[in-house]
Amino acid sequence: MNRLHPRIRLLWMGRAVITAAVLAGVSAVAVRFVAPPWVPTLTPAAVFVGFAALGIVLAVLRYRVWRFEVREDSLYLERGVFTRVRTVVPFVRIQHVDTSRSPIERAIGLASTVVYTAGSRGADVSVPGLGQGEADDLRERLKRLAIRSESEDAV
Amino acid sequence: MSRSLSPLSVPYRVLQRGGGIAIAFVFAMSGGFELPGVGPAGPWLLFAVAGVAVLALVGYEAAYVRRFSYELGEDTLDIESGVLSRRSREIPLRRIQNVDISRNVLQRLFGIAVVSFETAGGGDTEARLRFVSFEEAKRLQTRLGRLKRSDADSASDDRDDENADDARSGTDDGTAPADRPVGSTGRRFDAPPVTELFALDRTELALVGALSIDFRVPGVLFLIVSTISSTLIPTYLSSASGIALVVAAAVVLIGVALLSWVVGAAAAVAQYYDFRLVRSGDELQYERGLLQRYDGSIPFDKIQTLTVSENPLKRYFGYATLLIETAGYAPGSGGSSRGSEAAVPLAERDRVLALIEELEPVGEVEFRRPPKRARRRYLVRYLLVVGILTGVAYAIDAFVSLPFPAWSPVLLAPLAVWFAHATWTHRGHWLGDHHVVTRNGVLRRQTKIVPYYRIQTVIDARTVFQRRLGLATVTVDTAGSLSVGGQDAAAVDISAARADELRDELEARLDSAVEAYRAGRAGIGVDDAHDPAATGDDPAETGGTRQQGDPADADPFDPDAADRDRSAD
Repeated sequence: MNRLHPRIRLLWMGRAVITAAVLAGVSAVAVRFVAPPWVPTLTPAAVFVGFAALGIVLAVLRYRVWRFEVREDSLYLERGVFTRVRTVVPFVRIQHVDTSRSPIERAIGLASTVVYTAGSRGADVSVPGLGQGEADDLRERLKRLAIRSESEDAV
Repeated sequence: MSRSLSPLSVPYRVLQRGGGIAIAFVFAMSGGFELPGVGPAGPWLLFAVAGVAVLALVGYEAAYVRRFSYELGEDTLDIESGVLSRRSREIPLRRIQNVDISRNVLQRLFGIAVVSFETAGGGDTEARLRFVSFEEAKRLQTRLGRLKRSDADSASDDRDDENADDARSGTDDGTAPADRPVGSTGRRFDAPPVTELFALDRTELALVGALSIDFRVPGVLFLIVSTISSTLIPTYLSSASGIALVVAAAVVLIGVALLSWVVGAAAAVAQYYDFRLVRSGDELQYERGLLQRYDGSIPFDKIQTLTVSENPLKRYFGYATLLIETAGYAPGSGGSSRGSEAAVPLAERDRVLALIEELEPVGEVEFRRPPKRARRRYLVRYLLVVGILTGVAYAIDAFVSLPFPAWSPVLLAPLAVWFAHATWTHRGHWLGDHHVVTRNGVLRRQTKIVPYYRIQTVIDARTVFQRRLGLATVTVDTAGSLSVGGQDAAAVDISAARADELRDELEARLDSAVEAYRAGRAGIGVDDAHDPAATGDDPAETGGTRQQGDPADADPFDPDAADRDRSAD
């Protein structure tokens, strides 16, 4: 079983902090303009700390749970903090494989590999947080395996 | 040889497009307004403008029809179209999921039809021919079916064609009325024998109609009434007595309900009139419709999922609904009936099961229920609902006094207990030789039959609560068009150990199904898989259906096609 690159935690934490900041901003605006008397002035700060802490804890837990494995005939993923999801993607069913790098991912040198199937939940299958070389390797490997086990009639 | 659209499509297209313009024109004329700065010459100018518009329309449509050409090649369908911007498309035949022909009353009068080709990719119908003659449409449909079939010996195709025709023409008249379009016009092209799998009888059609209520009618009525008579009603209201008002309201309500029912019934009957499913070679063909006639084909090996849907009433009276899914239709496009054009709206359960046995021989299904602790879960869930209802009742009671005691929702508790038990008994999954079957739901029980060969991904999800009880839900994702709405086949709340097992098992069975498919033994893995000898020899017995081998390998025309597909190796 492979784990994700440890640096993915940074990415997720960063995302959580940004979300927390946005929420804090919204609540700050609300407090400033609506200002019901029963709302303490520290609310935005509390919102920020609360959501950021929650996000950071979740990021750590998510990293701990995330596993993937390239098996003989399929790609296997395991993830999810609250709802544990295990996905099996048979190579025969892979339509195409992408590597994607968002600007933030590039900044910390990570990439994700996305696997598409014809299934209705196809785009769900993505492996985030891979080193750059790693992501390309995974993509190439999956591509080769998918071609080798190519099915004439995927749909 | 490339073909073009029917010349009759020019007048039809002009009528279709010109209708709106004509109405606008009549409206403008009857309004009798004068264009500013034109004076008394106004009407004549309008006539002139309209004349030019009609000429332009006729010219455009004529050009469109003229520039539209298509060609059904050995392995692609090529379409060239466009007046100003040209577009040319090549659609690989193997990728075509269904071919649908539809004709409304006017089109039937003209003898033309719309042919739609669906592929799995993209959001919309891949290609549409508007319009070709009905004979040509049937020719395309049957020819496509034949080209997709990997007949090893295609040179003898035509000869077989003749023989089959001669052999069949006697029997055909017996099975199908001579005035049936398929019987009369399709015969010339139909190579494979046509066997009827299912026909909706009159009782069933009447039932479908009786059970269809159009819920849009009240809304439309309300709109009309509120716009037309918003000034009239208040004066009546103020002068009428209380009892008269109540009576009037009741009459209106009943009237609206009756009208919705009549409209719904009429629509359903028109939609499913003369519904029948036939097997033609390795294709499933359906026909239905009173005013607008639909006529489509679905290759057997494109069937993704079969769904049997029943509610308690249908179960009690022994009826069921069957949905046949392919990947062809875009989810949500064109209303709810899309995605399963070949749905059997309502039929006796036995007949539905017999049809399933024809389409996907599943055999005897013995469902495996979730473990007993799952039932505890449902019990807690439904009791919680009762508890919340009671709480809400108390909360409301605190503000306005309710006409019933606030604790009365507790009376629902026995119902919750029964419902929990029912939920548990109706759940189940079963692994057959070639299919995985799952069943869920009480009020809308859905039994899904997925051939192993159609599995796309297997997803095992366990929520926090499920993990506490050691349960899991295994979802089988397919490319079927209904599964987008979260209606995938799923074995819900099975034990964690069983889920682990099921994941591996499903993967293994998909692999062997793919193996079998490649070996050319079985289509989606059906009747002849245990009996490989039966495949090669007797096409009549298998109806030529399940022999679909590796099409690229078997295609005698185009070795390049095989190479192209394999070139990635």
